[in-house]
Amino acid sequence: MAKEIEVTLNDNKVTGAEGMTILDLARAKGIDIPTLCYVEDLLPTGACRLCVVEVEGSRTLVASCHTPIAPGMVIQTHSPRVIEARRQIVELMLASHPDTCLVCDKANICELRKIAADLDIGLPRFRTRKHYFAIEDVSPYLVRDMSKCVLCRRCIRGCNEIAKKNVLGMAYRGFDSKVVVDCDEAINTEACRDCDVCVSLCPVGALSKPRKVEEKRRGKVQVIKG
Amino acid sequence: MPEKRIVLRNCGVIDPRDMSSYLAHDGFKGLEKALSLTPEQVIEEVKTSGLRGRGGAGFPAGMKWELTRKSPGDEKYLICNADEGEVGTFKDRYILQNDPFSLVEAIAIAGYAIGAKKGFIYLRAEYHYLRPMLANAIDQARAKGFLSHMDIEIRMGAGAYVCGEESALMESIEGKRGEVRYRPPFPPTKGLFGKPTVINNVETLMNIPAIMLNGARWFNQIGTERSKGTKVFSVAGDVPRPGVYEMVLGSKLRELVQDLAGATDIKAIQIGGATGRLIPESMLDTPLAFENLLGAGAITVFNSHRDIIDIVYRTMEFLAEESCGKCVPCRQGTEVMVETLERFMHGEGEERDVKVLQELSSTMMLTSLCGLGQAAPNPVIDSLQYFKDAYESRIKARGEVKV
Ligand SMILES: Cc1cc2nc3c(=O)[nH]c(=O)nc-3n(C[C@H](O)[C@H](O)[C@H](O)COP(=O)(O)O)c2cc1C
Ligand code: SF4
Ligand code: FES
Repeated sequence: MAKEIEVTLNDNKVTGAEGMTILDLARAKGIDIPTLCYVEDLLPTGACRLCVVEVEGSRTLVASCHTPIAPGMVIQTHSPRVIEARRQIVELMLASHPDTCLVCDKANICELRKIAADLDIGLPRFRTRKHYFAIEDVSPYLVRDMSKCVLCRRCIRGCNEIAKKNVLGMAYRGFDSKVVVDCDEAINTEACRDCDVCVSLCPVGALSKPRKVEEKRRGKVQVIKG
Repeated sequence: MPEKRIVLRNCGVIDPRDMSSYLAHDGFKGLEKALSLTPEQVIEEVKTSGLRGRGGAGFPAGMKWELTRKSPGDEKYLICNADEGEVGTFKDRYILQNDPFSLVEAIAIAGYAIGAKKGFIYLRAEYHYLRPMLANAIDQARAKGFLSHMDIEIRMGAGAYVCGEESALMESIEGKRGEVRYRPPFPPTKGLFGKPTVINNVETLMNIPAIMLNGARWFNQIGTERSKGTKVFSVAGDVPRPGVYEMVLGSKLRELVQDLAGATDIKAIQIGGATGRLIPESMLDTPLAFENLLGAGAITVFNSHRDIIDIVYRTMEFLAEESCGKCVPCRQGTEVMVETLERFMHGEGEERDVKVLQELSSTMMLTSLCGLGQAAPNPVIDSLQYFKDAYESRIKARGEVKV
């Protein structure tokens, strides 16, 4: 059996097994820390920084999804400093995200929107250009709209770790970073046939299935007279 | 007086191509001494010397070595960080050009101490012309039998600033995209190829042969309470005598930029490169030490004709370009800062922009994945503190300067 470690979590003394991350422990104790890039079945990557918490003695905030608990840690998961940092991180993502929620497939199940709502975020305070990439809809298996991508890398990790197909990779740097296929070509590989791993992992509307012909609206468009 | 040569002791003295001239100047005597001790004793010596990392962060070298030595496993690595990507630094280049043998000797000592059978020198891509000379130094040392306990391989850098950051550097050596890893685990437990690894800057290692030869006690007496030894500075910008200077730690900034480099007209000084501090002339009497101001030793002087917003804007442009793009605060934050500063450049900055810059600075510092994003707001924070009028005058002039 793993060694038990005692830590202070939001002013309560609790114990967790050695090797657990702060996030594991918090969730086990019923504390909700928002996450975006972290998914239970994938290796952590530490990209979004949404899961940050305060650990006494640390110069910076600490990402809970990949930081193991250590004896005597004093952790605050919802201090004002933490909440403010999380808000800004979401605002930073929203600032360059297209405002197309109205027509987005993910509209009401979008994780980004849900997190923004939970943190009570309205219009982002930051002004920046939007990400813009052309929609990739040549593949019969999936459609990619990378303008909506928040670079959580769940699709890449899913493709590598679960589907084991290694179709996706990262390219470019900084603000121009992008999840790409080969030398940044529109996705259209046979490997994607009968595989929904990335589509099901994407938290936003960047990845979706192409609309099937049968699903297209049948009959005349209704015109409502006003 | 405050100039002292420990790291640069052989520069200009020996022939960097010829091992015999190095041997005539106590070459490989430090290694000889180290090999007569146990690895633990060597580490103890480095710990007692108080040597701290010269690559920017100032982590105690001996402690790093000890952690790595004590990590379980037979396979360990030593990496010499010669990526020298920090804006305005050229001291590592000067060292490599003039005294490659000392570096090889230092790596041999470090490898022995931590138990690494393989060492890498990660050489900045733009320094490719130094590679033959460095390889020559390694070959000569090998031929003389100084490298019987380990091998040294030169790896070329990937041409990215962030590849100087230790975890991105290791990814790069592993053949992957130069992107930062989250920590813990730290390199001494899980570094290159997942094995315990020591990664040290060129200048840090250059101190090792002298420490072995003269003893930790000798080294420990130089410098200040918490900063031992000397530091090599690269001075550039608006000075008549730019160049590489080695000074005892704790020396005043004034002695370096005015007395040695000869600066007369100073508006601002950037210390530690793009992610370093930006300070006004009034702080010239600050001692150069880890406890005050240091960084990797880049000193750039700006005279009264320079525009602060321009300096900060260009610095931020660089950082945004060089961000690896992995974490949100750095990738998105540097972009917001560039665009905000650009508005100030065009006379469109507003009071609220200043507030946003301050709030964003704190979040980037607190949440970024690596030192780049954590230190990227430094020029903004400092310029807002020491050169607030540069922002205010532009806000006031809003509407008058329309481009
Ligand atoms: C963005 C970034 C760039 C860096 N570039 C360099 C570099 O070019 N050379 C270097 O020695 N250290 C660089 N560092 C510091 C390294 O991560 C690391 O701390 C250092 O190599 C450790 O060696 P030391 O303990 O001897 O200083 C950089 C750090 C960051 C965050
Ligand atoms: S496409 Fe979706 S899953 Fe992939 S990195 Fe972007 S947001 Fe994450
Ligand atoms: S959820 Fe922890 S960094 Fe993204």
